[in-house]
Amino acid sequence: MSIRHIWAVTRKESQHILRDRSTLILVFFTPTLLLLLMAYALTVDLKHVPLAVLDLDKSQTSRTFVQQITAGQDLDLYASAESMAEIEDMLMRGEIKAALVISPGFAADVQALKGMPMQVIIDGTEPESGGFAVEHIANRAEEFISTSLASQLAAQGFSVDTLQPVDLRIRTWFNPGLKPRNDIIPGLISMVLGFPALSVALTLAHEREHGTLEQLLATPIGRGELLIGKILPYVVVGLFNVLIMPLLAIAWFGISFNGNFALFFGLSAIFMFAVLSMGVIVGVFMRTQAAALALSFLVVFFPGFFLTGIFFPLASMPEEARMESLFLPGTHYAVITRGIFLPGVGLEVLWPNLVMLVVLGVAFTLVAALFFKKKLA
Amino acid sequence: MTDSPIIETERLKRDYKSVTAVDELTLSITPGELFGLVGPDGAGKTTTLRLLAGLLGVTDGEATILGFDLKSQAEAIKPHVGYMAQQFSLYGELSVLENLQFFAELFDVTKHEQQERTERLLEFAGLTEFTERRAADLSGGMQKKLALACTLIHQPEILLLDEPTTGVDPVSRREFWNILTELHVQGTTIIVSTPYMDEADRCSMVGLMYAGKLVECDTPQNIRAQLKEDVIEVQAEDWQAAFKTVAGLKGVREAQTYGETVNLLVDDGKKRLREIKRALKKSKVEYRSIRLAPVRMEEAFISLIRKMES
Repeated sequence: MSIRHIWAVTRKESQHILRDRSTLILVFFTPTLLLLLMAYALTVDLKHVPLAVLDLDKSQTSRTFVQQITAGQDLDLYASAESMAEIEDMLMRGEIKAALVISPGFAADVQALKGMPMQVIIDGTEPESGGFAVEHIANRAEEFISTSLASQLAAQGFSVDTLQPVDLRIRTWFNPGLKPRNDIIPGLISMVLGFPALSVALTLAHEREHGTLEQLLATPIGRGELLIGKILPYVVVGLFNVLIMPLLAIAWFGISFNGNFALFFGLSAIFMFAVLSMGVIVGVFMRTQAAALALSFLVVFFPGFFLTGIFFPLASMPEEARMESLFLPGTHYAVITRGIFLPGVGLEVLWPNLVMLVVLGVAFTLVAALFFKKKLA
Repeated sequence: MTDSPIIETERLKRDYKSVTAVDELTLSITPGELFGLVGPDGAGKTTTLRLLAGLLGVTDGEATILGFDLKSQAEAIKPHVGYMAQQFSLYGELSVLENLQFFAELFDVTKHEQQERTERLLEFAGLTEFTERRAADLSGGMQKKLALACTLIHQPEILLLDEPTTGVDPVSRREFWNILTELHVQGTTIIVSTPYMDEADRCSMVGLMYAGKLVECDTPQNIRAQLKEDVIEVQAEDWQAAFKTVAGLKGVREAQTYGETVNLLVDDGKKRLREIKRALKKSKVEYRSIRLAPVRMEEAFISLIRKMES
């Protein structure tokens, strides 16, 4: 191993990154851009779902109920319909996502505590919005009828306390308010930080494609020297992003960082090592940048979405998928980012993931070194 | 020459899947030779140079370079060889100086030597005033010269150049060859592949490859002398008429035009010269001059290829 050889390659690679503006932006700011885009695209809190109401009861009670369900920001009263045909028309046009039909005799039934005769129609092509509307209306209906019952009982001189036999007081730990963003963003960070792997895969393929690799192979540089020299600048780029990501999460998205930052940085560095060696393997096997790009997506980003448990809980996956996910650095790093961000856990919990990252990093490096020959074909 | 060969191959073979690119190549090159590798496209010139540079695995056969075995000691050979690929691509984002520095470091040239050689090579290549310019912004000819400078930074004993002047303007080409000649005079062993026959003529030895085999290997003089035909050169203002008149005559194997000159490959120069003069007079075609011309490499080459193809 010659430090001079490694440094020559590292310096050359850094000069390339710093002087080519598109490469510079690509390697330094893509993770930031990806995080912003994906965070907004994936954590849309449902609000303002348009709703039409067909009130066939036309009573004071039904009007009060409609007012109550559309009072907040959740459901918007888009229109008061006169007929079922009108509702159908609005659903077909996509103007509303749900419709509430209040049956005749609604007020009388509520008064008699017989129930709340009504129908909720939802647009099944958007189950998220529809389901949200149903849930919201059901909750409000429950409140509405118990309030009605309570006022009737009170009028007759009964105490209203007995109405709720179970007093549930829910405390959500780690993520009070159960904001999906708080959980998804640390997960996303683990994914976008895998991006430098793609740069490494591309830079190797780039040299092959442009014929500079042929020239490099004709020099006495060692295989290891070349690979290490090429990876080093991307480790620096990766660690730069490791610093940026928590800042972005805290300052921009208002997510609390409860763990130890030094631990986060250290474990991130080990993740970089593992994921970059994965990138090297891609670069070693692929002849062109296009192929390297496609394969990177296949082995780094696609499993990042589906197998690392960021969006789909690993526990609900078939055995094969769970096995496969164990071999992806992203799976372990996702556990680390989520663990350090929200509950703020330390190595006492994360050590198995640390061990796996080290094992994967070493294994990938060996595979890359084994298959990278100083020959053209 | 009595020197023992610096490069020696024995039935060297290289296959790509179903194609044999280099087929039982046996070659011996003495130190200090300027060896020109010629042959039609696809003859195996690039594969031969890549094999000698240690960039490709050997399918079969033996090769020794500077006493090292090519198959088992390829890495030991690399510090002594300067290889310039056909599609030599420099690092465009790096300046002229940085490119030189990069290769100097990879070849373990000491800082002191690097400084002294860089200066000399830049002057040699006429790049002294462009040291800070990025390689991507150099002209094609300057890029080739910088590429050559990069392959010379470690003062290799052997230079392997794969079509270094393809796509370079004639002036730069001439300059490039002047540099090669100088290196040749200094004693560097050079193997250069080229599609240009005038370049082959400047070599001390020429190897002709055809279908992966070395079919001819001799000095340019001897290769030219092998041509059994003679060349007659006719210069005429109305060269179209001259061409039509003489092209089909008896004994004329081939007719080529170069501007107002018609070159004829004939079986017997002296005999045909008289006949051609007569034919031109008969057809009333005026000509400026007609003479027996020296055989050029190009004619010899084409004739050899024709022989191979038939």
